[in-house]
Amino acid sequence: MKTIITAQSSRKLNLKELFHYKDLFFVLAVRDLRVRYAQTVLGLAWAVLQPLATLLVFTLIFGRAIKVDTGDTPYPVFALAGMSAWSYFSFVMSQSGSSIIGAGEMIKKIYFPRLIIPLSTALVAIVDFAIAIAILLVLMVYYEVPISSNIILLPAFFIMNIMTALGVGIWLSSLTIRYRDFKHVVPFLIQIGLYATPIAYPVNMVPEEYQLLYHLNPMTAIVEGFRYSFFGQEALHSYAFISFGVTFFLFVTGIIYFKRMERTMADLV
Amino acid sequence: MSDIAVKVEDLWKQYRIGHKASTSFRETIGNLFSKSELDYFWALKELNFEIKQGEAVGIIGKNGAGKSTLLKVLSKITYPTKGRVEINGRVSSLLEVGTGFHPELSGRQNVFLNGTILGMTRREINSKFDEIVAFSGVEKFIDTAVKHYSSGMKVRLAFSVAAHLEPEILIIDEVLAVGDAEFQKKCLGKMGDVAGEGRTVIFVSHNMGAVETLCERGFVINNGEIGFIGEKHRAISHYLSESQKVSDIMLRNDRKGNGSLKIIGIILKDSFDNVVGQTGTGQYLSVDFRFEAVNKIDNPIITIHIANNQDEPLMMLHSRMSGDHFKDVKGEGVFSCIIQKVPLPPGEYFISYSVLGGGSFLDALDNAVSLDVISGDFYGSGEIPSASQGKVLLDAQWKMS
Repeated sequence: MKTIITAQSSRKLNLKELFHYKDLFFVLAVRDLRVRYAQTVLGLAWAVLQPLATLLVFTLIFGRAIKVDTGDTPYPVFALAGMSAWSYFSFVMSQSGSSIIGAGEMIKKIYFPRLIIPLSTALVAIVDFAIAIAILLVLMVYYEVPISSNIILLPAFFIMNIMTALGVGIWLSSLTIRYRDFKHVVPFLIQIGLYATPIAYPVNMVPEEYQLLYHLNPMTAIVEGFRYSFFGQEALHSYAFISFGVTFFLFVTGIIYFKRMERTMADLV
Repeated sequence: MSDIAVKVEDLWKQYRIGHKASTSFRETIGNLFSKSELDYFWALKELNFEIKQGEAVGIIGKNGAGKSTLLKVLSKITYPTKGRVEINGRVSSLLEVGTGFHPELSGRQNVFLNGTILGMTRREINSKFDEIVAFSGVEKFIDTAVKHYSSGMKVRLAFSVAAHLEPEILIIDEVLAVGDAEFQKKCLGKMGDVAGEGRTVIFVSHNMGAVETLCERGFVINNGEIGFIGEKHRAISHYLSESQKVSDIMLRNDRKGNGSLKIIGIILKDSFDNVVGQTGTGQYLSVDFRFEAVNKIDNPIITIHIANNQDEPLMMLHSRMSGDHFKDVKGEGVFSCIIQKVPLPPGEYFISYSVLGGGSFLDALDNAVSLDVISGDFYGSGEIPSASQGKVLLDAQWKMS
């Protein structure tokens, strides 16, 4: 095995090496999962309680008080389909965003492909995501909402969801090393994004003239896509491809920027 | 495969001085408009060398000379600013034991975590797991959370994982030399095995004894440059002579006292009267104070204080208290404070002195000279306690009756 180290040698994405470290990817994810609920009395029950509590609030405010029109779909089912995608996004984005800083000691002492760290958060969050989907399925049975045959598209939308979350997360993780200011961007993005994404309300409530702008948010089409997969009502907005384009763009540029920053990570972190 | 394990060509590494953890966004934006002067310094300058397959090389140099930076570049933790490194073979670098250990996880889980961080696959760890645990000696607690471990147990388990790596090139920092003497012996023994198996070992240390036993060649690094490359004994003597300390106390402006007697130089000497830059635990040391007295001073008293690098005073050596009197001191001369066996564990210490005469301070200087103590023999057994077990050593014997 021959390795060449030069000033530029970190820039290329070495997929073979990334694959060699796949065990580290799993081990880091398992560590995070174990540590998250270590010494908590309720343990994994927290992962069930969190989405349920948010869902309750949403249902009371948007479903009952404001009476958002969700067509034939009962409000809790409607909201949870969107929330499952959004919670995954916000969790992965915030965890991967701070992941490099959090792993500073490791980065300063040992070499491994740094990308493993933000990537492994995508795996951690799948547990919460699976729980949210399980609750959704239970609610669909309870409200007698039939599952659409579009469900076969769900994996594709979920992959988009992963790419968006990682794209933003990887961008933030390398930006935060350089500029600690970006630590404050995460809560800000989550707060704004929660309302700028059709989670609590359907996408058609947004006036047509703003739809283009609205679809610059990559999560818009993904949340829509989730509902389309589960309930199969109206097709995605014609601007959805813009959202997908943004997702792809964020993911690719995120990795390029990360690889550029990788060179100085151990010096800056 | 070529017989060269590591080839370094024109390697340079630059850092920014006074680097804060990160620059702020505002600062960067500010810099766009005003060209601020940034201070850079070269941590490594124009390094060129080759290490052959199966060779054990010791890298020696003072703190801040660039040894750790070099190891970080060789282990791909940080990248060079200029130049090229070619490495033939699988590298494992141990700059720290227990990187990534998580206190909430059990010993077993941490073995897997640490092992995969070090580049092992889960299958490799699985196959060596029993061996790793047996070597560490913490079998009983392997399913206990590591936060309940003593620090010694943690280090043993962590080292055990590292010891079972099978790299072709092993890069080790001297941080491994922490822990108790028994553990250090085990570390060195294991590293000796690795070197004996024909693998390439690159080893950084302050401990000349370890370099002597483990390595064949030594590299002396000085201010980021290669000062010397060659046979280990020559490298060690090169390093020791280079770090000779003829202290520049004349440049200090924080002296106290009326100056009628002045210390103009402090040098450290070993038992052969050689000027040395450092000493070892249990070694003979003479601290020589060269003085100049304008007027005749009868019966001056000279005192030194030795403090550790946490500024804790460890001992005072006082000429009157030890019954040593100097009559009618005038002109130039030397006061020597002779320590038969340095009672200090390895570390960095500071010597302050004061000279009294006729009831007033003649000269005094805090932290006038630093004293580097490296590992050595104190009891004639080859073993000494570490600094964490006590701040000073005391000559004592055990008896049974």
